[in-house]
Formats: sequence, C-alpha cells, structure tokens
Amino acid sequence: MSEAFDNFPHILGEWLKGTGPDSDIVVSTRVRFARNVRGFPFTGRASDAQRSEVLKLCEDALKQVHLDRSVVTLELDKLPELKRDVLVERHLISRELASGEGPRGVTFGRGEMLSIMINEEDHLRLQWIKSGFDVDRAFHALCKVDRALEKTLPYATSDRYGYLTACPTNVGTGMRVSVMVHLPALTLKENIDQVFKAAQRMNHAVRGLYGEGTRAFGDMYQISNQTTLGRSEEQIVEAIKAIVPKILEFERQRRGQLYTEDRSFVEDKVLRSLALLRSARRLNVQEMMSHLSMLRLGVDLGIVADVPVRTLNELFILGQPSHLQESEGRMLPANERDTRRAELVRSRLAAGSN
Amino acid sequence: MDCQCCNKKPARIRICDVEENNIGEQINVCPDCFNLIKRYMFDITKPLMTTPDVIREVQGLLTAGETSLATLPEPGGITPVGKEPVPVCPDCGMSLSEFRARGRFGCPRDYEVFAEHLDPLFERIHDVQPARHQGHLPEKSGGEEVVQRRQTVADLRKRLDAAVAEENYELAARLRDQIAELESRPKAEERS
Repeated sequence: MSEAFDNFPHILGEWLKGTGPDSDIVVSTRVRFARNVRGFPFTGRASDAQRSEVLKLCEDALKQVHLDRSVVTLELDKLPELKRDVLVERHLISRELASGEGPRGVTFGRGEMLSIMINEEDHLRLQWIKSGFDVDRAFHALCKVDRALEKTLPYATSDRYGYLTACPTNVGTGMRVSVMVHLPALTLKENIDQVFKAAQRMNHAVRGLYGEGTRAFGDMYQISNQTTLGRSEEQIVEAIKAIVPKILEFERQRRGQLYTEDRSFVEDKVLRSLALLRSARRLNVQEMMSHLSMLRLGVDLGIVADVPVRTLNELFILGQPSHLQESEGRMLPANERDTRRAELVRSRLAAGSN
Repeated sequence: MDCQCCNKKPARIRICDVEENNIGEQINVCPDCFNLIKRYMFDITKPLMTTPDVIREVQGLLTAGETSLATLPEPGGITPVGKEPVPVCPDCGMSLSEFRARGRFGCPRDYEVFAEHLDPLFERIHDVQPARHQGHLPEKSGGEEVVQRRQTVADLRKRLDAAVAEENYELAARLRDQIAELESRPKAEERS
C-alpha cells in the first residue's frame, strides 16, 4: 500500500481549505464526467474478467496521460472496508463504489482535487473538486484530463445521444456539477423548502451532504444539475452559475436579517454551540455537525473570531466515524467513537490553538 | 368489495398514488386487473399517468377485448402472440422489458437496439425536445486502435480454441505467438 494512503487520515484535501469565491457559504464545487469504454458491457453487466480488462485499460490510459507524479491508485477489492469508508467520507469515491463488487479502483491526486473512479456504475467517473464556488476552474481542469484520456481510450459515444452511460439520467454530456453549500440561516428561517422547489423548477436538485438519499446534516446541501442531454457542457455551467448566486443572495439576506433583527438569538445559538463543542465529553456525528454549522455561521457573522473556516471544514470530515476509527487503527463501538470525537473537537477548538 | 377496474371480481389489492409524501387517491383492484395495470405502467413509451388515468385506459382495453390487451408490454420479456418480437441486444442480451424493469442499460449497443423507444423516455427525463446531444464529442479516431486490437485478439483466441479442439498444434502455436505479440505491443503514440 502506498505511503500516501497510510498518512491519509491526517492530511486533508485542498478543497477543504475554506477559500475561493463565496467561501462564506460555498464549501466546494465539484464537476464530474461519466465515461464508458467502447466494446465492453457497462459495469453492472460485465463479468469479473471484463471488469479486470476495463480496469487495466483505464489504468494504462491514465499512466499515459501523466496526470501528476504524485497520484495514488488503489484497487478497491483489495482494500479493507474501513479504508473504503474513509474514501467515501473524503468524497473521493461513492458509496456505490465502496460497497460494490469485483475489480474496481480509484486514482486521485495528492491534493485530492482530481479523483477517477473505475468500474463504478460507469467504467469511468472523473471528478474535480475546488474550494469555494469555482465552476469554471473545476470544469476546465477536468476537461483537460478528459481530453487527454479520449486520445488513448475509446469512449462509447453516439452522434445522437453523446456519451453513452449505464443510467439514462446521465446520457449526453455525462456531466454533473455539484455545489456544496452551507445554508444555516435559510434552515433556521424555514425557507429551505422554497429553495428546493425553486431549484427543482429549474431542473436542479438539492440533496444532502453525501449525495442521493442522504440527509442534510449540519445544514450542508448539494445543488446539482438534473439533466445531461440536449444541453452543452457550457450551458450546464451557465445554468448553475445563474442559480447558485440566487441561493447565496437569499442565504446572505437571511443571515443579515438574523444579525440585525435577532442578534441575541443568533449570538446565543452560536456561543452555546461553541461552549458545547469546547466542553462536551461525548459527541455523536449529528450533534457535532449541527453545532459546527452554528459555529461556521458565527465565524461569518463575526461573533466568533478565533476559529478559521478550514478547521471547521476539516472537523466535518475528521469527525466522521470511519476517519476516527482509521486514525485509531481499529473499529470502535459507538460510545467510544463519541468520546474520541469529543476529544478531537476539543483539541482543535481549544482557545489559542488556532 | 368489487374490483374498481373490471367491476366483476373481488378486489384484493390497493393502489395508492403518493406525491410529495401525501397519499392521494386509493383504488382497490383484483389481481388480474392489477397485472394489466402493472403492464400498462411498465410501458416507458407512455407518459407518466396517475392511477385513475391508467385504470381508465385499462378499462378501455378490457371492453375492446383480447387483441388490444396484447398490445401491452409483457413483463419478463415474453413476446405476446401477433406482436413484433421484443428487441434484445445481441451484444449483452438485455431485452427492452429487462431495461424497463432495471432502469439501466447493459451495454452501449442497447442505445441502438432500443432506439425507437428511447426518445420519449429521454425527453421526459431530461425535459428537452428533441432528445439530441449538444456539446463535446471526442474525435472518431480517438483510441480506435485499442478497440481494433481487442477485436483482433478476441478473434484469434476463437481460432486458437478451434485449432486446439482439432488438435492442429502447429496452427495453435502460431496463433498463440500472434496473440502474445499483439498484447505486448506498445500503444500507438510510443511506437511512432
């Protein structure tokens, strides 16, 4: 196993640094392309032998494009479950790939901005994550990888339907732009349903932190395009660039309102969360995330001064169950995880530690 | 209670439409009608409908008699008598009805094999008309050689198996060397 992966739980991805445009609300922007190799059935219908062949073809093609000298490539069927779950918590692979079967893998860069899943639902899922609201850079960076790959890897395409994918919801561009936003004020003010409905009307979906079917812990939501056919990549980018700023404006307006009209209410919430996180001896994930959410809001409103956003973003990941267990080197029962989580949070938030 | 579809047999199954967590109209039907309703709903070429609308359609088919019932798609890929065969992909064996049930394609060729059934589905999913790709496509020649080489290797393997079966070891040895050579050949860029 690579050394990079052994140090894994302690080094975190670039995209968590809490910088970039609109980073008061937007945690990250992710662009992904779904691609398949011509001449093979899609993963769900491929034999193990065919999956191995696809894995090999893709890995060879990736070597040829010289992504970066420091990429990490992992074959998931050889990786224990805990390590696979760590990758899910890092957003480097999907739950589907982690719990899948047969030959499959992931390649990612040291900065964890680029990740390439092999033999997920489609043969290739390429993704690029940037900190903040930065669709253009994420899109162009990913295009470069894709254009290099298409020279050596024969993609399954048709003139009529574009990139052919296993699921009819991805056909066409195979492209999904997904923006992770923190919307505590809209949640507190009970405006979140309005956002969901408005996004839906414009063919965009709002989901929880870890994608489809997951809950929105810590007031974190993902906004993404729902349609991939009949619109060019540029049109998809423009659409998300039109929708997201409206949501950001709405959230900022509600934050402002909270601060001017309900100052003691919001100060009380934020400072109670800070006190709780600095004192608790046991924290479950949900509790941690909801109080970190209040703290993040407090940092933005200037109520809390000595905590950087990066620390909060990192705790969101490091406090997840598999990360705690991985850094401990063993599986932990729930109450022990809660104790470790509380220790981690206290040490990272201790006054003067940042 | 009688079936609310055929109004003859006793109702055994209740169908509820659920929209945004609210349970809408509830309809009680007999198992025979339930099967027809299921088959009607499986037909992805039809637009999405509420259960009462589907029931009205099925009632229409029931009064029209046997021949019109045969126009419904058959679950499980059984071809109804007097109907065109259900398309099946020659590459991956996926049938149209299996695709409908799973909601996933088996291989890229399915897009050609099921072509005439896909446009209405794509127009609905992607809220677009016509359902045609806009945007980037790789150049045709991209990676073509890899595919060709793979096909050649697969072809040679078949001939090798046949040669072994015929105990023609001289030919088998030659074929084996050809396969080994093709598989070890460096990629196009490096060779030139």
